[in-house]
Amino acid sequence: MKYIYKSIIIIFFFTAIASCTKELDNNPIGLLTANQVDSSPTITTLESSVSSAYLPLKSTLNGIIPGWQWGLGTVFRNDIVLQDIASNDMKKKWSADGDQVWMDQLGDFSFTSENAAFNGIWVYDYEGISRANLAISFLTNSEIVQKTGMDEARKNQLLGEAYFLRAYYYFDLTNNFGDVPLVLSSPATFQEAFALAVRVSADEIKAQVNSDLTAAKEILPNVKYSNPSEPWRVSKGTVIALQAKVALYSSDWTTVLSTISELDALGFYSLNTNYFDSFDANKEFTDNEVIFAYNHTTGNTPQNGNGLAAVAGWGFFKPTDDFISAFEPNDPRLLYTFDVPNDQASKILGSTIDYKGNDDSPGNKIYIRYADVLLWKAEALNETGDYSGAVTIINQIRSRARNTPTADGSISPVGILLDRASSTNPTEIKDWLMSERRVELGFESQRFNDLKRWGTAKSVLTSLGRDFQDKNYLFPIPQRDIDKSGGTITQNAGY
Amino acid sequence: MVKKQLIYNLLFVAMLLFGSSLIAQTITGVVSDASGAMPGVNVLVKGTNIGTFTDFDGKYTITSLTTNPVLVFSYIGYITKEIPVNGMSLIDVVLLEDSQSLDEVVLVGYSSRKKSTLTGAVSVVEMSDMGKTRIPNVSQALQGQVAGVQVTSSTGAPGDPIQIRIRGEGTIGNNNPLYVVDGIPSRDITFLNQNDIKSMTVLKDAAAAAIYGSRASNGVVLITTKGGTIGKTSFDVNYYTGIQSVSNLPHMLNADQYMNTLEKAWNNSNTSGSNPYTTDKGRADFSNTNWLNELFELGKSQNLQLTATGGSDKVQFLMSLGFYNQDGIVVYNNDKYKRLNYRTNLNVDLTDRLKIGTNLQLSYSTQDKIASKGESLIRFALLRAPVLSVFKDVNDPTYSAADPFTDMPFYTTTGYDQDLQRKMYEMVGNPIAAAYFSNDVRKIYKTFGNVYGEYAFLKDKELKFRTNLGIDLSFFHNKAFNPNYGDDDGGGNGVDQGLGRQNRPNSLNEERGEAYTITFNNTLNYTKTFNEKHDLNMMVGSEYIKNYESSIGASRSRFPYTTSEFRYLDYGGSTSNLWNSGSASEWALFSFFSSASYVFDSKYMVTANMRADASSRFSKNNQWGYFPSISAGWKISDEEFLKDVDWLSNLKLRASWGKLGNQEIPNYAYLTLVSQVDGIVKNNRFGNADLKWESSTQSNIGVDFGLLNNKLSMSAEYFVKNTTDILLPIGLPSVVGDVAPTIVNAGEVSNKGFEFSLNYKNSSKEFHYAINANLAILKNNVEKLHPNVPNIQGDVTRTEVGHPLNAYYGYRMIGIYQNQAEIDSYLTGSNAKPGDIKFKDVNNDGVINSSDRMFLGSPIPKLTYGLSLSGDYKGFDVSMLLQGVNGVDRYNQGKQIVNYDTRPFNYTTDILGAWNGEGTSNTIPRVAFEDNGSSKISSIFVEDASYFRLKNVEIGYTFKSLKGIQNVRFYVSSQNLFTVTKYSGLDPESTDLMDKGTYPLSTSVLFGVNVKF
Repeated sequence: MKYIYKSIIIIFFFTAIASCTKELDNNPIGLLTANQVDSSPTITTLESSVSSAYLPLKSTLNGIIPGWQWGLGTVFRNDIVLQDIASNDMKKKWSADGDQVWMDQLGDFSFTSENAAFNGIWVYDYEGISRANLAISFLTNSEIVQKTGMDEARKNQLLGEAYFLRAYYYFDLTNNFGDVPLVLSSPATFQEAFALAVRVSADEIKAQVNSDLTAAKEILPNVKYSNPSEPWRVSKGTVIALQAKVALYSSDWTTVLSTISELDALGFYSLNTNYFDSFDANKEFTDNEVIFAYNHTTGNTPQNGNGLAAVAGWGFFKPTDDFISAFEPNDPRLLYTFDVPNDQASKILGSTIDYKGNDDSPGNKIYIRYADVLLWKAEALNETGDYSGAVTIINQIRSRARNTPTADGSISPVGILLDRASSTNPTEIKDWLMSERRVELGFESQRFNDLKRWGTAKSVLTSLGRDFQDKNYLFPIPQRDIDKSGGTITQNAGY
Repeated sequence: MVKKQLIYNLLFVAMLLFGSSLIAQTITGVVSDASGAMPGVNVLVKGTNIGTFTDFDGKYTITSLTTNPVLVFSYIGYITKEIPVNGMSLIDVVLLEDSQSLDEVVLVGYSSRKKSTLTGAVSVVEMSDMGKTRIPNVSQALQGQVAGVQVTSSTGAPGDPIQIRIRGEGTIGNNNPLYVVDGIPSRDITFLNQNDIKSMTVLKDAAAAAIYGSRASNGVVLITTKGGTIGKTSFDVNYYTGIQSVSNLPHMLNADQYMNTLEKAWNNSNTSGSNPYTTDKGRADFSNTNWLNELFELGKSQNLQLTATGGSDKVQFLMSLGFYNQDGIVVYNNDKYKRLNYRTNLNVDLTDRLKIGTNLQLSYSTQDKIASKGESLIRFALLRAPVLSVFKDVNDPTYSAADPFTDMPFYTTTGYDQDLQRKMYEMVGNPIAAAYFSNDVRKIYKTFGNVYGEYAFLKDKELKFRTNLGIDLSFFHNKAFNPNYGDDDGGGNGVDQGLGRQNRPNSLNEERGEAYTITFNNTLNYTKTFNEKHDLNMMVGSEYIKNYESSIGASRSRFPYTTSEFRYLDYGGSTSNLWNSGSASEWALFSFFSSASYVFDSKYMVTANMRADASSRFSKNNQWGYFPSISAGWKISDEEFLKDVDWLSNLKLRASWGKLGNQEIPNYAYLTLVSQVDGIVKNNRFGNADLKWESSTQSNIGVDFGLLNNKLSMSAEYFVKNTTDILLPIGLPSVVGDVAPTIVNAGEVSNKGFEFSLNYKNSSKEFHYAINANLAILKNNVEKLHPNVPNIQGDVTRTEVGHPLNAYYGYRMIGIYQNQAEIDSYLTGSNAKPGDIKFKDVNNDGVINSSDRMFLGSPIPKLTYGLSLSGDYKGFDVSMLLQGVNGVDRYNQGKQIVNYDTRPFNYTTDILGAWNGEGTSNTIPRVAFEDNGSSKISSIFVEDASYFRLKNVEIGYTFKSLKGIQNVRFYVSSQNLFTVTKYSGLDPESTDLMDKGTYPLSTSVLFGVNVKF
């Protein structure tokens, strides 16, 4: 009897040991290790890695960082605050209130480095870069691509998109903050993440932007839509347009002109007859003008709709008096930009009548459209002495605006938005160009960058009673990341 | 009804048992001790299962069928007496107090020790002493009872969790202690029934806890459930019911005060045009609502516990049934908690050497949860304008019977946005409507228990093998239906336009999941005394723990029918906003451990423990962690030179050292991982291949005194606990993307402290009384952090070397700017205005910016204490527990948003003293719709959250010897009767670093009856 008990005990001990130790090394549930991606990649992972890199461009509420983190500025992509509110085209609400004070602080330049707007855009852009880096690391690993069976053409197309997106995010970062950390691949260790948290010069960032765009241009197919069933994807034209914009922001006028010629040679883009067609949610990807936009869609899980429409519904994003008065009398573009009687920010909403308050609305976010490109060209022509060329383009934009039916269906009176006279005075032409850009591209998150590169931010904003200082030509680096880096990321001068 | 029926049935069964006594030799008598008659003494006929207890007068009657019976009289703390009957029919007995009564056996892990030979810091809470505290959650039993154990309710809502901290906070991660219920580790004990628990033992220092190695660094709480007792089956019925009410509510502005304040705020702000609040004052449609009063009502609770115990010397059993029901203090009864427990504990001596048994509990709990903290209903009630009414007028065209509540301020059906009037009052939702429509039910079905077998070897059974298999299996089901309500704000997706703004569209979320943890441990234990002087105890063992959890969830929206019959997924919309999810996680732990202790002559004692753990949470190279401890004790009072000191009954010195671990980090934290959830491919976390155990090294010195035959006993401890290689989630700079923090062994935190406890027990004639006091002083300090992270920034806190963990960090308020000259002389280029908060310019550069932030306070209490008093005289008894903490701060975000926000929320009456011109206030800034400095994290919101609370009072009266019944006790009990605190939030006892408006603890009054037969 005793022996039976003894043997049972021994069996207990040993079975326990044998069966248990192997349970300590199971693979993680639901998460990919680097090994798994290398040894058994799937085509879905590769495809999704690229489409995921687009997402930080969307305006979906909590679309990137969940949980209504107003304090972190991550509820939606902040371009609208950093550009339109900072330039004083837009104010937070009609009447002052204490809601989301950080937005007001952008408008009156009382912000500090702790302002949520800076952290928000920083996090969105670097998350986009991180995703693009991941996609690039997959798609440039020929072994992985081969194993998934993805064909060369699709791979090149996707890789070109990823290069473009990385360039786009870096371009945005350097415009806002100047020198920023340069991360081109996922760090191998967490220590490396800290080593990467050092700012490099804006020139170096721009060089990287240019080299990514060059690489993208080489491998993207020579068609308007890289894939007609996915017209929202970055195409060769998108890349060339951004190259022109990068050159414009460096005042490299000859490159601006040569790049835009290259774009025109493709023959993909022209002005729409109707000003609003670029924004109309019902005409997405059937118009001629939009070069790059984020494609919002409704009813998806997770959500992929335009959430700014909901924020507008809460009373946000109103035009300043100064902005409204910048429109010439009866300019049809005013009602499309902001319909005061109906309180409708149509260009943001994607409709002149609908979507306000809808947190899942379909209106796309337009990043680059051909009218913008034409005005870059006009600016470059003016700077290089082709005054009549510049005025012609400005008049082309005015003519299209003038002939656009008004938002409320009324007929525009004759005599509005008359052509600019021919001129050989570059200052006069530049003034025309600057006011044309303001009304043509109003609420499209271009204005503050324009004011900065023209060097007029201080005079314009001071005349509006704003406390704009020279330091404000760059925004402060978000304090949260300076703190997280332990101070290896330094602050811009004056903050 | 059902409950009453149960009691009757039990009474009936009891009658039958008593009635069927056989006629034979009957013995009666009275049992007493030095101070008089002793009720509740166990009287047993030796060698049988015939037994009884003495009644309230110490009387007993017992009938024996055996020849030459021997009666055994036993009572805890007294020397057991055996008396041969020898034909006597009247036997009066005097029991002597056991001078060795310290020598209870104490469970210290996988084995037990005599209390007198303990060398570590161990505190035992006997639930029999705790029987007079009414608590819904067993963790609360430790509140105020043990020095160095801090127990905090996270909120006052029914069923919300309780937090326990043993000797401070050692890590930035999980600081919860490990619970071990009948040998089975668990991370949660809310499912237990108070009445089923025999004792709770807190292992505070390393020597005591090291046997639990890798999971013990935050201390261990061992819980032993009651077992059966040899003797006649006895029944215990305990029922109480009572009411709860909210106390300590802040005073909010009434409608007139509110309008005056908003009018002033408008004037103080940079606004143009005429003041709309001046025009609006005295509007006919204004209400004067006190939202807090509307939100709270009386809560109700009831508790029924039925226990039967008994057994022979071969088989002992306990069966119990518990039912607890609490309906919280928020209106409409959607805050509820219900729990049903059933337990069987069985112990069988199969042979002289082989024992088997089981302790098994089934429980079912259901919590109706409302938003109880953070963005809570309470917060809404604090913020909503008093000029709004709770209900719409029935003649209001927007009124509907299904949703009679007001929502948006002065809403009408015609156009919303154009009307400035409606924007003047903040649009925060109606808390009463939110309480009414709240529907979030969380059910947990749980099986928790173990089966064990024990076999004794060798001649004197010195060597015991014990195998123990435990299971903790639970299923949960969460179901939340979010009905659409409120006013239409013009928003919403195409098809949802025209619906109210709350929960638009309606939706149902369901989640179901399972979790199981299997624990299998085997131990060999050798106990022997050589030559009566050498006590030796050795133990080796192994343990294997595996956990697996998985869940699935789904939701649908746009339910055409919203009554409860249709609150199932099938009946929701089928085209869009469909959601489903599923995930799982697992971990495993495998361990060897051993322990040895040696006691010489009951005077010198030494114990050593060693545990080796392998955890799946670490990479192969770092999978094993080793946790040794050693401790020693010297019982000085037994030395010759103190033998003659009469008043000194016990004096013992103890010292210990040991190492403990912590593995409470996310699974797979050492790996670099990419996630692909919902089609989004992104970096999930950058791993750390070097990740290893967090370990804490603890040293403890203690001294135990016993005076006057142990009537007065005292303990004092000094400890130093250094946690090194802290498992720290380090948020990487966002430049590598938005990734989960990497877990890094970074940093070192120390906790140093003193603990004192004092017990005094005495009786004079029929008056018995006891005092238990305890107090702990703690100093928490961060000693070292990772080189990459000089500090860890939280929302309102910062962790930095030289300060406590999570210390509050921000700007220091030094007053209010009284005039422009003061601003101009203090700051350069500032747009601050007179009446704004004046912050300390730490570096004196004339600018208030991030380099002027400083440490503002600590959320870790420096002092915790408890005092319990009890006494009884004849049938009356009274007991009370006072408890408090001191030297603790809390960030009162509720205050920030109530009194200092720039939106037109309601305010507390404090704001009536706001700055209003030079010299009016230096503490409360001007009211304004623009930032007056209050958006900054500053000392104005860091408040002293020390409190002193009368936690529990109970008064009872026991009726003696009713026919067939051992005794009946009636009692009335009250919890949280009063609180002394300077904290201006709803409740100083909260676990959130940032108090946004927490469901407060309530004051309760309970009436109960306890019947034993």
